Parts: sequence; structure tokens; C-alpha cells
Amino acid sequence: MKIPHSVRIAGLVFATTAFYGYVGQLVPQREVQPPQETVLRTDMTTADMVKVGGELMASKGLCLTCHTIGKTGALRFPDLAGVATRATTRIPGLNEIEYFAKSMYEPDSFIVPGFNPGMPTINKPPIGLTDQEILCVIAFLQTLGGTPTVTLQTSHHYYTAPGAAPAAPGAPGAPTNATPTNATPTNTTPTNTTPAVTAPPKVTR
Amino acid sequence: MNRKKLLFVLGPITGLVMFGAVVLIATFLTNREYKDAYRAPSEIADTTPRAAGLADESAAATATAKAKPYVEVEYRAFPVVGSRVAIWAVAQLHLLFAAFVLAVPIFAVLIEAIGYKTGDKRYDRLAHEFTKLLSVSFSLTATFGAALTFMLIILYPKFTNYMMSVFSPTFLPYVLLFFAEAFFLYTYYYGWGKFHPLVHLALGIGLNVVGTSIMLIANAWLTFMMSPNGISDSGALISAWDAIYNFTWMPINVHRVIANVAFGGSVAAAYAAFKFLHATTDEERAHYDWMGYIGNFVAIIAFLPLPFAGYWLAKEIYAYSQTLGLTMMGGAFSWLFIIQAVLIGNLFLGANYYLWLGMGRVEGARSVQRFIKYLLIAIAVCFMVWATPRSIIATVAEIRAMGGSSHPILGFLGVMSAKNTAVNILILTTFMSFLLYRRTGKTATVAWAKAGHAAQLLIFAAAAIIVISLGIYGYFVEASVRIGLSVPQVSSVLFAMVSITTIDVFLFRRPKQSGEVRWGRMPAVSQYVLIFIAVTFTWLMGLMGYVRSGLRQHWHVYGVIRDTSPDAFTPTLGFATQVVSLTVLLFFALIGFVFWLASLHDLPDFEPRTVQSPHAPLLAVDGHKAEGSS
Repeated sequence: MKIPHSVRIAGLVFATTAFYGYVGQLVPQREVQPPQETVLRTDMTTADMVKVGGELMASKGLCLTCHTIGKTGALRFPDLAGVATRATTRIPGLNEIEYFAKSMYEPDSFIVPGFNPGMPTINKPPIGLTDQEILCVIAFLQTLGGTPTVTLQTSHHYYTAPGAAPAAPGAPGAPTNATPTNATPTNTTPTNTTPAVTAPPKVTR
Repeated sequence: MNRKKLLFVLGPITGLVMFGAVVLIATFLTNREYKDAYRAPSEIADTTPRAAGLADESAAATATAKAKPYVEVEYRAFPVVGSRVAIWAVAQLHLLFAAFVLAVPIFAVLIEAIGYKTGDKRYDRLAHEFTKLLSVSFSLTATFGAALTFMLIILYPKFTNYMMSVFSPTFLPYVLLFFAEAFFLYTYYYGWGKFHPLVHLALGIGLNVVGTSIMLIANAWLTFMMSPNGISDSGALISAWDAIYNFTWMPINVHRVIANVAFGGSVAAAYAAFKFLHATTDEERAHYDWMGYIGNFVAIIAFLPLPFAGYWLAKEIYAYSQTLGLTMMGGAFSWLFIIQAVLIGNLFLGANYYLWLGMGRVEGARSVQRFIKYLLIAIAVCFMVWATPRSIIATVAEIRAMGGSSHPILGFLGVMSAKNTAVNILILTTFMSFLLYRRTGKTATVAWAKAGHAAQLLIFAAAAIIVISLGIYGYFVEASVRIGLSVPQVSSVLFAMVSITTIDVFLFRRPKQSGEVRWGRMPAVSQYVLIFIAVTFTWLMGLMGYVRSGLRQHWHVYGVIRDTSPDAFTPTLGFATQVVSLTVLLFFALIGFVFWLASLHDLPDFEPRTVQSPHAPLLAVDGHKAEGSS
């Protein structure tokens, strides 16, 4: 029996489409959920902040999309292993907390030699970490070659913790380890006992 | 009931069924809403406690309804498949038809101009044949465009409101241009042969200018969603022009024009293949073989620079946001480019195979056909390199054995250095196929023929060596240097293509012909290859449309309007490819309809078949008395 050309054409279209659809099933399947809002407790310890900071770097902060930890070779962005040690000497007059804050609030103001600019401003959309979340990320970064000292009451050039004295304009070394006892909640869920919980996605607008 | 009567009643029945479907949908949508209570006439109203209770309930419901505050709805749900898939499918179909409608006039006008310049009527006929496909496609484009607009307003009202507030200055020009396009398109099509050729060409150029302008405006909307510009931190409009001229606008404009021509050429070639396969005479076969060749030539010539336009677009995406760029190439979408590699590899294979089959049309092709095996090996190797992923799916034991998710040897082929090299060599090889096809059956007669051949070979070899050497060098340098290496790679390929073609044109001026081109002498499989190429192009457009749009992930407008709908997540690639496949099938069902309608144009007008009865006057087969009988 001779199959009409129209039927053959339809068969070819269907088979080709089905083949490409099948190829699509062969690659890894990953559903990417929107990052969920992290709600921070006000009584978090530095150790809690380190844990939250690490989670933020891998999720909402998208840091590990570009940065690596402990990788060598031809890198697109600086590797973060040992960054706490390097951060103390990167820019004269800035301690590691100020340097990390500067890297996130004003990423283009200093580019590590050998790399191209490209880091987004972390406290603005689309990433949009809050000041407290950035403190948590700084706490985590301090563990990479150093000792974490940041608390939720730490102030720096771009952020003044509630109750703390504002940093002088342009001054690199604003208070870093102040821990006032009368700090007000930042983004509170007082009954929460875990360092980080998830909530429905924030509506930006 | 015979077949004719059945066909006669089928039209009204279909109309009634469609009307019923509209009523059903309207009923479904309105049934769940509050309605004012039915007010019974006072003379039949009773005064029982039950009636009073019902009246109270009704009054309370009315009071609640009247007190309902106006709240702007953010999202509405589309039944069964959800809003995202519904918008996705309609937008994709709109874009596919729009691409076709924008592309065909570009090469139709060029072909018509060649016909005018050379006086060869075949070109004029070919251009006219291409434009036959336009009018129905234009209607379908407009229909899907209207459907898309309404669905956006209904399903994503808040987002649509925002886009309208930013781009309000562009809407009136868009509508006016659309009217102008309808004017030019229909005048160009229906005015074929009715005006002076130059006037007709001017109409065609007008059609292209207007069509491209429409595309530029629409591109501003969609690129703004990906790389918003000209707005404040809170999203308020500062400059409409900056919003239009955002980072990715111009790269998308260029990329789309080229891609549209490639896609349009392939679909037109598929139409020619369809007609070739159904042709009944040698003349028809010769014409449609030639038409298919031209369509495919247009598609592949436009396809060759497309990766370069893609590089530019990717570069601008990185320049706008490294995060966006890395999401595309190193994040959730990285595996999509493996699927893309399979598609593009198939396109190259299909295009080359068609050219190689086409050499059989020409007498004395054997001298060039011997090179095909080498070209095939080069294409196959490049295809394999391009389709090699950086990391592979493996069990824990396999990952341990490999020392990571990358294969110790093949993993090196999965990085950009290898892929850039592979795609450039693929382009060079396909270009070489074209060159061989071009010179099939010809011998250069110019005095400097030997030197010309040597120069061509030298340029080709130099380009290949540059591409491969830079590809290897890329493994040993920092990323910032490696990214820049693609520029000399691309430049050397472009230089080779332009310079070799230029030499070839002069080399084969007044050549010695060793054989004629026998149009129509093509095996049927060659026509199926053309259809395969068209389906692959369409699928590729669907896939790349998905990555362009999906790249924003959970943002309607990247960094400005967040997607808070239930569809805010990025689906798996498997799901995405299913939706792409579905839209491609729908597109081909509809374009098949367009092909069929265009074919009707060539059929003779309907006339009742007549039979001569020995005992009766001349009768039509349906019983009506035929014209001329008494």
C-alpha cells in the first residue's frame, strides 16, 4: 500500500517534534522555585547567623551561582576560600566587615585584580537581601579563613544598627562589634526558635 | 445523503457548534458570580416566614455585594492548563506567524528585484509564489496577537497595567503601523503585475519597513521585561526612550531579523517541498525544486551568522546582569543549550545533506561529491563536541570513579572553548558545502584560476587553524581573556566566508559548463529533508523563546515586578519541551492549512463534471442541466 505524501509529511512532523520532546526528557530535570523570604530572629547568635548566611549565599543571594569556595583554575569570579584573611588587607583602612559590606552594597567600587566587574548590588532587586541578611552573609564569609564576630547589632558604613551611633560619612571603620542590649527587632518572628524559617515569597510591589 | 449534501450541511453545523461552545464558555465563566436576586412581582409574593427569611438572606447578600470594595486583581487562573501555559502557547504561535510574515517579504522583494533586474520571469513568479502564503498568515498573526493581548489583560492584569503605563507612548504608533502593514501587504499581494515593477517593488519595500518597525516596537516591550531601563528604583518611568532602548533591545532586533529570515526561508522551502511531492508534471516539479532550493538557501545563509548575533545578545545579557547571564549559561538553563546543540547539529546535518543530494541534479557532479565524506566527518565530530555536556548525570559510584560530575576527558569538551570551536568549524564546513554545490559542473576558465583556488584553500585553512588554536588556548587563560577569544574566532570565520565568496564570484565568471542543472531531478527524500529542517527551525525558535523568557525566572520584569502567581517557579526542561512540542504541532497544523489555501489558488474554477447520455440532453453529474443544453 502506498502511503500518501500528506500522511508521510504529517508523520514526519510528528516524529521530529516527538524526538526533540524526548531529548528534552533526557537532560536533568530541575524545577527552580522562587527564593523564599528568610525571617530572622532578633536573638540570633553569631553561630546562627553563620548558618543563615551560608544558606542565603546558596539560595536567595545567588552568590554561589558565580563564586566558588575552594576551587582553582581559570575562574570567572574570585574564589571565596580564605577570603576573610584577604579581606583585611584588600583596601587599606577597611577591616573585613567594611570590605565585605562595600563589596555587596557598592560592588563596582573595588574590583579584585584579574577579574571583570559584574557583581550586582546585593541590597537591591533582583537579589534584594535585607541589611540583616547581609550581616548574616558577612558572618559566613568571616568563617572562610577567619573567626566570625558579626552580630545583628553590628553597624557598618552602609547600615546603622538600631540604637547604635551612625557611622561617620566616608569613615571606613564604623563600629563593628557593638552589641547594644536594647536593640529592636529587625524582621521579627519572636516565637520562632529556628535560625531561619521560610515564608511566602515577598511581594516586591 | 451523498457527500455533497453532507458537505453542504457541515458548514452551518460547525458554525452552530462553535456558537454553542462560546455560549458554554460564557455560561461557565459567569455562573460562579454574584447575581442580583430575581425580584418576584408583588402580587405573587407570599408572606410566610420562609419567604421573609429568604428575602432577608437576599437583602443581606445584596448589601454585601454592594459594599464590596474594588480591589485590583493581580492574577486570574486559566482553566485546566493554567495561565502560564496558555499565554506561552498563544504567544509562541503569535511569534511564529509574525516571524513568517516579517521574513517572507524580505526575500520576496529581493527575489522580485533580481527578476526585474535580470528580466527573468521565473524570479517574479517565485516571489509571487512566496507572497501567496502571506495573507492568511497575516490574519493568523493578528488573531493570535489579539488573543495574546486579551489574555494578558485577563490573566495578568497588574503586570499588563504596569507595562501599559511604561509603554503607553508606543501603542498608538503600533496600531497605526499595523494598519499600514495591512495596506502594504494586501496592495503588494493583490497588486502583483498590476503596477509598474518599480512601483510594486516600492510597495514591497514599504511593507518591509513597516513590518520591521512593528517588530522593533514589540521587541522593546519584551526586552524591557528582561533588562529594564529608564525607570526609577521603584519602577516609575523616567524615560520612555531609555525603556525602549534597553540593553538587549538592539541585539534582539538584529537576532530576530536574521532568525526570522532563516525560519521564513525554511517554512517557504517546506511549502515548496509539499508542492513538489504533490506535483503531477515535470514542469511543476522543476519549479518547486527550484523554489525549495531558494527557500533553503535563504534559510541557511541567514542561519550562518545567527550564532554571532546570539553571541552579541548573550554578551549584552551579561553586561546588563552577570547573574542573568550565569543563570542562562551556568544555572538552571545550562542544559537547555545541550538540547539546542542537538537541534542546531541536526540543522547543519540536514542542510548539508540536502546540498549533497542537490549535487545529483547537476551532470558531472562526481568530481566534487568525493569531498562529501570529509565534510560529513567534520560535521559529525563538531556535532558530538557541541552536544557534550560539561557535567553528566551519573550514579554516586560513577561520580567517585570520575572524580567529579565532569568526565575526566569528555568533560573538557563541555566547556565554551570547545563549543565555540565546534560551532565555528560547523559553519565553515557548511559554507564549504555551499561552495562545492555552487561550483558543481563548472570549471574556472580565468587565467589566474590555479592561484585563485590556492588562495581560497589558504584562507580556509588559516581560518580553521585560527579557530582551533584559539579554542585550545582558551583552556589555559583566565575567563576574562577566554571570553574575548570568541571575537577573533568569529571574525576569522566571517572573513573567510566573505573573502572566499568574493574570489569565487570572480573565479567562476564565464566558467566552462560540464553539465546542466536538471531542476526537478531530486529524490523525494530531499523534500522530506526540507520539511525536517523547517520543523527543526520552528522547534528551535520555540526553545530559544522559552529561554529568553524563562531567564527572568520569578520576575515578570526582572528586578522590578516580581511574579507572585502560582506559576512563579521555573518548570523543568522536560515540561518546557513538551509545551514547545505542542505549540510546534499546532503551528504546523495551521501552516498546513495555509499551504492548502495557497494551493487552492492554482486550481481551476469549479465546474460540474458533465456526462453525455445517449438518450438525454447534456447533463451535469449532479442532475442539473448543463450550460448549453436545451
